[in-house]
Amino acid sequence: MIIRYFLTVLLLFSLSISSNAQEKPILYIYTYDSFSSEWGAGPKLKKRFEKKCNCTLKWVSTASSISALRKIQLEGDKSKADILLGLDSSIISKGELSGLFENHEIDTKSLKVPNDWRSDIFLPFDFGYFAFVYNKEKLKNPPSSFLELAQMDKDFKIIIQDPRSSTVGFGLMLWLKAAYDEDSNQVWADISPHILTITRSWGEAYNLFLKDEADMVLSYSTSPAYHLIAEDDDKFQAANFNEGHYLQVEVAGILKNSVNKKLARKFLDFLISDEAQAIITTSNWMYPVKNIDLPKGFENLISPKNTLLINANLIENNSQKWIDEMFEAIK
Amino acid sequence: MEFNSRKIFGIFIALSTGLLVVTIFFVLLIQAPPSNFVVNNDILTLVGKSAFQAFLSVIFSLFFGIIISWSFNRLNFFGRSLLVGLFAAAIVTPALVIGLGLINVWGRSGFINYMLEYFGLRPIGSIFGLHGIILAHTILSGAFVATILLARLNAIPSRALKIGQSLDLNAWKRFLVLDWPAISGALPALGSIIFLLSFTSFPIVLLLGAGPANQTLEVAIFSAVRLDFDLNSAVQLALIQLIICFTIILPSIFYLPNTIVAGMTHRQKWHDSKSIIIVQAIILSVGSLIFLSPLLSVLYDGLGQNLIELILKTSFWNSFFTSFIIGVLSALLCLTLALALSFAQVEIQNKYGKAALYLPIFAFMIVPAVVLSLGLFILIRDLGISSTIAAPFVLIIANALLALPFCVAILLPPIQAANIRYSKITKSLRLSGLRRFKSIEWPLLGHEIGLVLALAFCFSLGDLGIISLFGTDDFATLPWLMMRAIGAYRNNDAGSIGAVMLVLALLVFWLLPKITKRFSNAKT
Repeated sequence: MIIRYFLTVLLLFSLSISSNAQEKPILYIYTYDSFSSEWGAGPKLKKRFEKKCNCTLKWVSTASSISALRKIQLEGDKSKADILLGLDSSIISKGELSGLFENHEIDTKSLKVPNDWRSDIFLPFDFGYFAFVYNKEKLKNPPSSFLELAQMDKDFKIIIQDPRSSTVGFGLMLWLKAAYDEDSNQVWADISPHILTITRSWGEAYNLFLKDEADMVLSYSTSPAYHLIAEDDDKFQAANFNEGHYLQVEVAGILKNSVNKKLARKFLDFLISDEAQAIITTSNWMYPVKNIDLPKGFENLISPKNTLLINANLIENNSQKWIDEMFEAIK
Repeated sequence: MEFNSRKIFGIFIALSTGLLVVTIFFVLLIQAPPSNFVVNNDILTLVGKSAFQAFLSVIFSLFFGIIISWSFNRLNFFGRSLLVGLFAAAIVTPALVIGLGLINVWGRSGFINYMLEYFGLRPIGSIFGLHGIILAHTILSGAFVATILLARLNAIPSRALKIGQSLDLNAWKRFLVLDWPAISGALPALGSIIFLLSFTSFPIVLLLGAGPANQTLEVAIFSAVRLDFDLNSAVQLALIQLIICFTIILPSIFYLPNTIVAGMTHRQKWHDSKSIIIVQAIILSVGSLIFLSPLLSVLYDGLGQNLIELILKTSFWNSFFTSFIIGVLSALLCLTLALALSFAQVEIQNKYGKAALYLPIFAFMIVPAVVLSLGLFILIRDLGISSTIAAPFVLIIANALLALPFCVAILLPPIQAANIRYSKITKSLRLSGLRRFKSIEWPLLGHEIGLVLALAFCFSLGDLGIISLFGTDDFATLPWLMMRAIGAYRNNDAGSIGAVMLVLALLVFWLLPKITKRFSNAKT
């Protein structure tokens, strides 16, 4: 009896997922988890966009943006994806190489992205800088460079993420590469005694940091804005490094396979509208790509002395080697 | 050979599971272009380290599991069954929750250092490193061992106890003569399972691992799939993992001693000397502190003001019910499979045959979650089924299969014992199939069946691996919601979700065995 009841529930349940028998077109946007979650920008963007598009927007999320790309690749011709949102500037080559995307054809003149970052295929929708975040009340004199970090007291600990599983961890590897090139492995070796642990994801690392397990955590220069605005807590700050900070641009792209390309372009237009940009700024906690008024609190964030960026193709061709070298250096 | 439905059903399940594993590898290999994969020194070092870590985890888990179950068996006190439930809940709490709870207690700013500082003492060393990993694994697995062995000890017939008492056995002699034969049958399977769990442990090793020195093969596989989309390497690494794990656990699969003692679980009377009782009380107090403090810290963190806000959200209830329904169905399926496999194990006399029945379910457990998820995803795609429709079914089946080795480890010893004790009666009465189950096994297995249901339910509750490719926004489970919260700065919400999962696991472990036991006793 019970089994039959549950099976019925389950069947109805899966049917309700699949048979959205409406006339409205459905726009499928694949993205990473935290973007589309309850707490992210996704639900708010969906609400606003659906008001004007006469369509239904469906978020399909995976653990990370790159898993979303892999999912689309695996689904092949049958994929319903119209847009992939959330790949970042250091891994866009993987998107380009997949051959799955077409040019976005959106006018990007009004966009303000550091280093004048542009791509025909991928439209930037926010950006940020990798930075080490610390608690001002506990750490009075944060290091102001990787070299200073290396010379900190023996007990000074940082938490970083695995470059193989986290874009933030990947970003740190590129950051050091961009700043020190050939010498980056030596710098890795010098800072390695201070690495408390290397987590799988940004969230775990940040969680540990908030539990006060380490003095600094690898995150974004905009992270303090979250605490300031959402929690009214001003004790967190990012350390401004003399080497400059590595740039991460998050992008969205339209799939060649999409059956709703017009709608998809409409969404991308919406994505860089002032309205959507404001939502992204305080939900995804990154900088907007347009010149909109920043929410109060953003003025307290550090501005990098220098923006670091490595060409995406160079990254694609060398990342495995660099990752191996990095792990060798901190062994 | 005479027709034996129990044998055939068990063999069928083992074959199907084996076929599924083979198919998963097969579809991945077809999908994958050949790659220039080589087994280099790094991989061998990784394997060596993982094996060493897993070996230590097994030793510690078994040791603490044995002494804790021994103490539980002898002492009777108020709140005992709740405490037993708390121990059992450890294994099924998502590993990440345990890891974070452990840090609440042992971390730099954890409870212990807080106390030490209060008394002006020096803080303890870092929890990060091999010792942290092994501590976490011991808490996860040792508690599971204790739960299973306790059920075995509780099943020692009172007759045997009376004789033992009249012979004036001291604590050590009693352990050797009465306890060891009761528990030893369960140890090889338990050791194998813990080895596999620890060898393939992923979240804990990364969280507490203190860097690249403590990585596992799973991380390498994860990276091959995720970053490079190099399915071929991933499959090869997964095969290496499979081969190594099998080589190591194979002897224990062949060595499956029969459990000699059997009976219904019951409260027992045994008079130990005062000093032994004090030792048991100390073991339980210290054990409870070490094992339960991380769990309690999770509850403390999560059951605050924040919880109220959380349970007002529809997304929470959606995830809750999805997790719940999947958990229930997965538990029922797992119980059926575990019973069938255990029955077949008992029927088959040949030890190679016995081992062959075990291999597929262990194989399924060893396949890394990311490979499993990918393989199932491609399989579903190739079958032409929409992944959103297939998602609940895949989750139910995969989770049931993942819990299967644990559940067989729980069920097999009592079923073996029942078989030895009642085989003559069943033969002479020509009892078979359901009638045999109803009249012989069900009354004996009431408690264990509840335990199996609880375990399988919670296993499915904590799953994060399989859902990764199948989840959509209409279909999310509690752990998934938790990861999303962690990924969006909402650590308080994540803490509350973790606490809810823990409470659910606790309730299930505390109540289900009681319920099934009552039902089974009512039937007799």
